Amino acid sequence: MKPAAFDYYRPTTVEDALAALGTSETAKILAGGQSLIPSMNFRLAQPDLLVDIGGVEGFDRMEVGPEGVMIGASVTQSRVMTSDEVADAVPGLRRALRHVAHLQIRNRGTVCGSLAHADPAAELPAMAIACGATIFIRGPAGERTVDAGDFFLGPFWTDLAHGEIVTGVHFPAESAGTVTLLDELAWRSGDFAITGLAAAVAARDGEATGARLVSFGVSGVASRMTGAEQAVLGFAGGDDGSDLYEAAYGDAADAVDDIHATAEYRREALGALAVRSVRAALAANGNGTGV
Amino acid sequence: MMDTNPGSREVDVAVTINGAQVRERVPARLLLSDFIRDVVGLTGTHVGCEHGYCGACTVIVDGDAIRSCSTLAVQADGSNIRTVEDLADGDQLTPMQQAFHENHAMQCGFCTTGFLMTLESVDSADYQDKERVVELLSGNLCRCTGYQNIVTAVCSVWGVDD
Amino acid sequence: MTVDSPMRINPMISHRAAHIGRAVLRREDRSPLTGRRRYVADLRLPGMLEVAFVRSPEAHARIVSIDTGPALALPGVHAVFTGADLDDVAPFPHKILYIQPVGQTALAVDRVRYVGSPYAAVVATDRYVAEDAASLVAAHTEFESLPAVADLDQALAPDAPKLYDDWPDNYLVNYPAEKEEVTRAFEEADHSYSDTFISPRQTGLPLECRGVLADVVDGQVTLWSSTQSPHIVRTTIAEMTGIPEPRIRVITPAMGGGFGTKTHIYPEDVVMPWISRRIGRPVRWIEDRFENLVSAVHARDQRHDVDVAYDDDGTIRAIRCKAYCDVGSGEIFMPGTAPVFVTGGCITGGYDFPNMEVHHFCVVTNKTPAGAYRGFGVPEGLLVMEGIIDQVARRTGVDRVEIRRRMVLQEDQMPYLMHGGGRIDSGSHAKSFERAAELIARSLERIRAEYADDPDVRVGVGYTNYVEPTTPTYHLTTGHWAGYDSATLRVDPDGAARVGLGTTDLGQGTETTAAQLVADSLGLDPDDVTVVMGDTDRAPYGLGAWGSRSAIVMSGSILMAADRVMVKAREIAAHMLEAAAEDVVLTNGEFHVAGSEAPSVSWSQVATAAWVRTVDLPRGMEPGLEMSGYFEPPELEHLPDASGKVNAAASWSNGAHAGVVSVRISTGELKIEDYVVVHDCGTMINPMIIDGQVQGGVAQGVAGAMYEEFQYDPETALPRFASFMEYLYPTCSEVPEMTIEHFETPAPEQPLGVKGCGEGGTIGPGAVVACAVSDALADLGVEIKATPVTPSAIRQAIREASGPGGGA
Repeated sequence: MKPAAFDYYRPTTVEDALAALGTSETAKILAGGQSLIPSMNFRLAQPDLLVDIGGVEGFDRMEVGPEGVMIGASVTQSRVMTSDEVADAVPGLRRALRHVAHLQIRNRGTVCGSLAHADPAAELPAMAIACGATIFIRGPAGERTVDAGDFFLGPFWTDLAHGEIVTGVHFPAESAGTVTLLDELAWRSGDFAITGLAAAVAARDGEATGARLVSFGVSGVASRMTGAEQAVLGFAGGDDGSDLYEAAYGDAADAVDDIHATAEYRREALGALAVRSVRAALAANGNGTGV
Repeated sequence: MMDTNPGSREVDVAVTINGAQVRERVPARLLLSDFIRDVVGLTGTHVGCEHGYCGACTVIVDGDAIRSCSTLAVQADGSNIRTVEDLADGDQLTPMQQAFHENHAMQCGFCTTGFLMTLESVDSADYQDKERVVELLSGNLCRCTGYQNIVTAVCSVWGVDD
Repeated sequence: MTVDSPMRINPMISHRAAHIGRAVLRREDRSPLTGRRRYVADLRLPGMLEVAFVRSPEAHARIVSIDTGPALALPGVHAVFTGADLDDVAPFPHKILYIQPVGQTALAVDRVRYVGSPYAAVVATDRYVAEDAASLVAAHTEFESLPAVADLDQALAPDAPKLYDDWPDNYLVNYPAEKEEVTRAFEEADHSYSDTFISPRQTGLPLECRGVLADVVDGQVTLWSSTQSPHIVRTTIAEMTGIPEPRIRVITPAMGGGFGTKTHIYPEDVVMPWISRRIGRPVRWIEDRFENLVSAVHARDQRHDVDVAYDDDGTIRAIRCKAYCDVGSGEIFMPGTAPVFVTGGCITGGYDFPNMEVHHFCVVTNKTPAGAYRGFGVPEGLLVMEGIIDQVARRTGVDRVEIRRRMVLQEDQMPYLMHGGGRIDSGSHAKSFERAAELIARSLERIRAEYADDPDVRVGVGYTNYVEPTTPTYHLTTGHWAGYDSATLRVDPDGAARVGLGTTDLGQGTETTAAQLVADSLGLDPDDVTVVMGDTDRAPYGLGAWGSRSAIVMSGSILMAADRVMVKAREIAAHMLEAAAEDVVLTNGEFHVAGSEAPSVSWSQVATAAWVRTVDLPRGMEPGLEMSGYFEPPELEHLPDASGKVNAAASWSNGAHAGVVSVRISTGELKIEDYVVVHDCGTMINPMIIDGQVQGGVAQGVAGAMYEEFQYDPETALPRFASFMEYLYPTCSEVPEMTIEHFETPAPEQPLGVKGCGEGGTIGPGAVVACAVSDALADLGVEIKATPVTPSAIRQAIREASGPGGGA
């Protein structure tokens, strides 16, 4: 389990990084490498060029302001997770990161790398969608931004074209009256989710007034749960939850079967997670405490 | 625009490892775990899975515990690395090493060095309840002990109610 | 029993404090704590090259051609060998005559029968280049795919593709059995029913993978291998290669666990010295985790089709069990046929249940060969027995604990003859069960109260009573070796002792326990004892560490050797004290005449006379102070009698496990809330190490109960696993805390009364968890009869029990 040979390049500017990517069809960007290097060790990935963006100027930038949090491409998950400022502005991030692998992985893995990798069972893409994050991309044609909701297209497949780099992601500050959380079922601590749900739930007077609910680990891509988002309107903590359950169950129509769980399990689990997440969000919203 | 691939197959890696300077020209694909074991010759860092799951290869790079099997040696260029060989002061074990011994927190010992490096890297003040300790230890796999004695050893050193 | 094998410490020795029975801290801890423990992957020799094996990507195929040219052309590649190159190596031995021969060669030659089967080896400057070359060999191998067999049903179908063309079918073993009294019981019983239990494919998965370093110089082979049985590796290499056995030295360096998987003799053990001899350089192969998952033995993979006859009062009258083991391709030495017989023999657990009929079948499929894993068939049987008891309780309305109470073995039944010939020498079965039930009842109440307000959560309890056969015969497993082990004990001129043992240490602390045994048997301090194992040149021939045997065989062989050393030492001391030998005793390490502590002579004086100042020896005495003991455990039988019965274990430890689980109905989330072990392995040499064995064993049992399974594609027989993302090795968060208590019922026939404790922990959890989940969900009609019990499996069981929809 050793990587096949490749050329290594460590640019210091985004321009050089882009230029290098342009020289090879199979070039890969190396950020934290926590998914890439294991898959190279299995020789599932055999890039001929690795462009290590760890030294690119400005990519280590993390800024917290009243609008939210801007996270550069080489900012590690641990750095985000341990920042109290970030947790105050975007509480969902720390709540999601607690489920991301283990300390040693988060110490190297980056937030942007996880988004670009787009594992369908990963927490950060789902949380980015739930939070309404914006992804910043640089390519040969210049800079563009994409809403997280439009970024993830399928398993390990995003809107990112070859030759483009995710330079950063912006998570807007959680607005008053909204609670953002993440719940998941994984057989082992730190694993990717078998079924997961990231939720941003707005409420007034104990009733949900709107929500962004995002499933992950269920189908081939983190997805908005349109049925459940509808069903959640007017939901109160005391409701029996059967409508919300059924709607969430329906949102998982394209759930996958794999060695860990059946598709039917994922549908049921997503139904159950929707009810318990929304209840938890309402409870947190009601008493103003954390989740 | 560049016309040709600007990368190279071989790279210079200079690190400080357990206080000593090491500078070597190595293949770009060399994993940090293999650099530490084969180039530097510090075999206390073990390789258990080479895909970032078991934690046997955990070392400390610039203060952070990381998986050396999922890191290229070249990514550690310029950094300060600590391995298990840096813990004991000659014959004098650290309190954590001593607690592992006294609590029978190891059997075959293959995972032990990874656990010790994870523990060495954190501030115990951040892990003052047992649930947090268990969560921290979950990043390292052990097949022999069932973990209970490891938890006990850590709690005894960090003053956490077991 | 050998006439002179002592059962206890020589009564002429007295000591300040005995060491046996004390939680002596481990002497082998410092090296792993400081990173100085040397595993095989840490060893390198000057001029050493690295080897990578090329493994089949096909489940079942003919090898049409292999073009090694492109690999050989790669810079850094020294050689490529294919199966055909090893034509001077004999196939693996076939020693068990009632099983079909698989004709396994060191490397596959023209046919591969599982993904992972090694068929070529590449030698290169380093592992990176070796893997580059191995990929090239694989890319230039032409296979002709053959129809693959993915599971038992496919293998046994009338038109099934055959793995071995010259066999009549895919049975490696086909061993039906009928018992008249069982047939009669079915006719007489009030009721009967049928059921099926499944223990899936799992493995021991030591954190250290396998590895071999071979160096052949002047015809002398030195082999470092991460093996539990170095002497057996040596004998097998000699037999297959024709190299004289004395010219082979096998060394087991520090091992990173084994759990049974490293008892087997693997192709790499034989191919590596062959390569080193051929190319004239030291060569090393370190298995990576992918190789380990597909090519180190798997285990379990049993299905049990049972018929149960019972009466309205909850009496189970008889059980008929067809026990099937899917042994994969069967291409492994020793073969994986023994565990299912152990399942059959031990299926009745700690219960008095003679009316058992077991038919044994081993079936080949296109999967990784199956073999040994901690528990060795016993956990699979316990899942069946406890499941049956709970099912009968449910059907008759009799309390589950009450049925167990009626059936559990009582002290006055000892020795108890089991249906298959196992002779349980002693134990605390009933007492252990009552204690476990008492302990778990307390937590059950507390945990029920904790969840009383949550209608989504159900709480249940599971009980088990098992026996752990220890120190088994190897004859039924290998068809060759049997049961003894050995110790060579020497006292050096400075008075310190050195013992060489035929057993090995795979991480369980054998050095420490052996030192305790030697210390007490010579009246020394453990610090004065050096223990040598795992080196065929430095330690006597022995069978290695497996089958929870080290406690008994070390105790026996050390006591034998020590007794012989003491006889001589006493004569020397008597001569120096000018006294009669029978008047000399040993107190706190000094020899003196009984009744007066002065004058005295020390061990050092005695040993100096024996080795150095031989002028001080009694006239005519042979110099030296080194003795051996070859201990064959009493009670152990190696071959079945005419009725097929055999007591294949020297002793029988026992235990009762009980556990409380909570199950969340909506998601199937399962948590072990409390786990209790009441354990009896006879006399305890080192209680700390025994607790460690129990804790680690339970953790592996829980892994099997809730997490681990090797799955294969049912169409192609290709593995659906390649890493720890698919094979779910539990972390600290998944393994429950447990309470452990012990009884100590000494083994009446074994030295010091020890029994062995390596596997008991692993046996209980599968049955505990399955039964506890069934109990928790009893009102939904859920019955769990297969492991691992995952949330998805639980939800499926709920759906199947209550119909579609399942509900929030």
